[in-house]
Amino acid sequence: MREMSRRNMLKFAAVAGMAGTAAACSGVGGGSGGGGGGGTDAGGSATLRYAWWGNNVRQENYTNALNAFMEDHPEITIETEFAEYTAFQERMTTQMAARNVPDLFWVPSAQVMTYYANGLFHDLDGVGTLDLSDYSDADIDGLRLDGVHNTMALGIFVPVVRYNATMAEEDGVTLPEGEDWSWDGFTEFAIDYAANNPNGRWAVNYGPDHDLTLEAWLRQRGEQLWTEDGQIGFTADGIASWLDFWENLRLAGAAPSLSEQDGVGADWSLIGERVLSYFGNSNHIIDDAQFFPEATFLLRNMPVAADATAGHPYLYTPRLAIYGDIDEANLEAAGTLLNYSANNSDMLRITGLTMGAPVNPRVAEEVTEFASPDEQQMLDAVSHDRALERNPRYEAPAGSSTWRTILTRVSEQVALEQSTTVDAATAMIAELQAAIERAA
Amino acid sequence: MATATTPSRRKSRLNRQGRAAHVFMLPWLVGLVGITAVPTLASLYLAFTDYNVLSTPEFIGLANFERMFADERFWQSVRVTLTYVLVSVPLQLAFALLLALILDRGMRGLTFYRSAFYLPSLLGSSVAVAVLWRELFGHSGLVNSALALVGIEGSSWLQNPQTALGTLVVLNVWTFGSPMVIFLAGLRQIPEELYESARVDGASVLRQFGSITVPLLTPIIFFNLILQTIGAFQAFTQAHVVSGGSGGPVDSTLFYTLYIYQQGFTAFDMGYASALAWVLLVFIGVMTAGHFLLSKYWVFYGD
Repeated sequence: MREMSRRNMLKFAAVAGMAGTAAACSGVGGGSGGGGGGGTDAGGSATLRYAWWGNNVRQENYTNALNAFMEDHPEITIETEFAEYTAFQERMTTQMAARNVPDLFWVPSAQVMTYYANGLFHDLDGVGTLDLSDYSDADIDGLRLDGVHNTMALGIFVPVVRYNATMAEEDGVTLPEGEDWSWDGFTEFAIDYAANNPNGRWAVNYGPDHDLTLEAWLRQRGEQLWTEDGQIGFTADGIASWLDFWENLRLAGAAPSLSEQDGVGADWSLIGERVLSYFGNSNHIIDDAQFFPEATFLLRNMPVAADATAGHPYLYTPRLAIYGDIDEANLEAAGTLLNYSANNSDMLRITGLTMGAPVNPRVAEEVTEFASPDEQQMLDAVSHDRALERNPRYEAPAGSSTWRTILTRVSEQVALEQSTTVDAATAMIAELQAAIERAA
Repeated sequence: MATATTPSRRKSRLNRQGRAAHVFMLPWLVGLVGITAVPTLASLYLAFTDYNVLSTPEFIGLANFERMFADERFWQSVRVTLTYVLVSVPLQLAFALLLALILDRGMRGLTFYRSAFYLPSLLGSSVAVAVLWRELFGHSGLVNSALALVGIEGSSWLQNPQTALGTLVVLNVWTFGSPMVIFLAGLRQIPEELYESARVDGASVLRQFGSITVPLLTPIIFFNLILQTIGAFQAFTQAHVVSGGSGGPVDSTLFYTLYIYQQGFTAFDMGYASALAWVLLVFIGVMTAGHFLLSKYWVFYGD
C-alpha cells in the first residue's frame, strides 16, 4: 500500500513537472495568439491585451473605461497591462525581444521611430472597424510615418506656462500680456517678482529638462528637435541658449536650485506652494491642480520671441498602436477598441482628459460638455495652438531614446556649475549623435 | 532465496528513489537551465554582437569591449561602484561586528534586538526603503528637519554630487543585520577559556579583542567580506530608485549595474550591456579569487 502511494505520487509529480515545463515553455507567445490567453474562437470572440502607462488614478479610470467597453462588446475580452511610464518602457523592451507585445499599446514619445523601425505598428488602412470619417486629411497625415497611417493619437499636448492665479492675486501681480509675453518679457517679470513678492516665492520652476518647452524654444529659433531624415535638428547654440535662459532665472533667484526643488525635474508636490508658474505640458494641469485644490491654476501658451520663426507652434500627439504581428483574426476587434479609444467621448467621460485634447473634432466638441474647469483650460490652450500655422514636426529617430536623460544630465552639470552651457550643449549633441549613428 | 532477492529489491527501491529525486529536482533544473544557464550563455554570445533587442544580433568581435575604453560613463560607473564597495563594505562589517560584540555580552532582550537589527537586511534593498531614503535625505526631508532644530540649514543630500553617494553608503551600512548575525554565531564559537586565561594574564579588553576575538573570527570576517563585497558590486535598486534611474546628479550614483541596465533597457544596446555584464562577472570572479589567495596570510582556521 505504501509502495503504491509513493508510485502514484511520483506519477503525479512527473505529470505535474512536465505540465509545468510545458507551461513555462509556452510563456513566450506573440500578442493575442500567444500563451498569454489571447486568441479567437469559433464564435468570433476575441481577447485583446491593452497596455498603457500613468499613475494609479489613470489606471483606475482606464480600467473602468475598458470594463465599460467590454459590457458593450461582450464578444471582446480585454486583458490590461498597466505600468508607470518608465516601467512601461522597460517592460515593452522585454516584450519586444520576446515578440510578446500587447495587441494595443500606447507609444512613448521617444520610442515612436524605434518601434516603427522594428515593425511594431500595424498598418491601419483597411481596418474596417476604425472610423476615420470625422478627421480631416491633415489630421491623419500628421500621424503618418513614412506615408503610412499606422498609429492613432490619444490626444494633443502643447507646451504651456501654468500659473497659480490665486497666488498672483495675493501678490498683486499680473503676467505680461500681448507683445510683452515674450521670453525676455517673462524673464524680466520673473526676476522682478522673485525679488519683490512678500512671501519669498519663486517665479518659476527650474525646468531646462522639459522636452516640450525646449522644442517650443528651438522652433522659435528656426531649429527643431529632429529632422525629417532622422537626424538632430538643433545646434549647440540652440541648446546653450536654452540652458542660458534657465541659468539666468536660477542665478537671479527667480527659479529654485536643484537642491531646493529636489532635482532638475521639480517635485511639484514639494514646490507647488512656492512657485508662481511652471513650464510643462498642457495636460498636466489636470493632475497637478489636484495637489492644491484651494488654488486656481490658469494656462498660458508659450511666450513668443519677437523674432520667432513663422510656423513655430506645434502639436504633440501621444500615440496608440495595434501590434504589427497581431493575430489577424483579432484585427477588427482591435480596430473596434482603437475606435473606442480615439473616437468616443463616452470613454473620455470616464477617463478624463489627462491624455490631452481629442484630435477627433467631433469628440473635441463633445467633451466640452463635461470638461472640468482645469480640463477646459487645457482644451483652450490646445485650440489656440491648433488654430495657428504650424511647420511639420518629426519624431525622435531610432537610437535617440536616451535624449531626455542626456538633457537632464547636462542640465545638472550646468546648474551645479560643473560645465558651461556651451560645453554642455556640445557634449549633449556629441553623445546623441554617437547613439543615433550606432543605431543606424 | 530470501537473501537472493533482498539486494535486488533494495537496488530496485534505490533506483525508484533515484528517479524520485530526479523528478523532484526537475522544476529546479528547468529553472537553472532556462532562467540562469541559457540566458547567461546567450549573454556571452551577445557580448560579441551588435544587438538592439529587436533585430538579429550581428557579430562584431571585440568591438563592445574596445568601446568601453573610450566610454567616459563606463569609467564613471567603475569609479562610483569601486568607491561604494571600498567605503560601504568595511563600514558595514565594522558596524556589524561592533553590534555583534555588544549583543554577545548576553544582554536582556537579546532575541528582540537581534531580530530588530536583522530587519533592515531584509528591507534594505527593497524599493520601499529606497523611496523612504529619498524622503529622508530630500531637501525637506527628516534629516534636514533635524538639522534645522540645531540651526543648520541643510540642502538636498541627494541632489549634491558630493553627498548623494554617501547617502547610499549609509543605506548599505544600515543593512548590517545579516553579517551581524553571522558574526554573532562566530563569536559564540570562541572558547570562553581563552578569554579567562587572558584575563588571568592581565590582558585588557582591547588586547583580548586583538589577540583572541579577531584572529579566531577571521574565517567569519572572510566569509562576510566575500558575501558583502559581491553584493555591493551588484547593488542596483537603491541607486535606481533614489536617482530615478538616471544615476544622477551628474552620474554621481551611476552604479555599474545601473549603467548596464540603462544600456540594455533604455538605449536598446543589449550587445554592449551584455559585454558590460561579463566584465563585471569576470572582475568579481578575479577579485574573489584574489581574496582567497590573500586569505592564507590573514585567515586562521585553527587547524
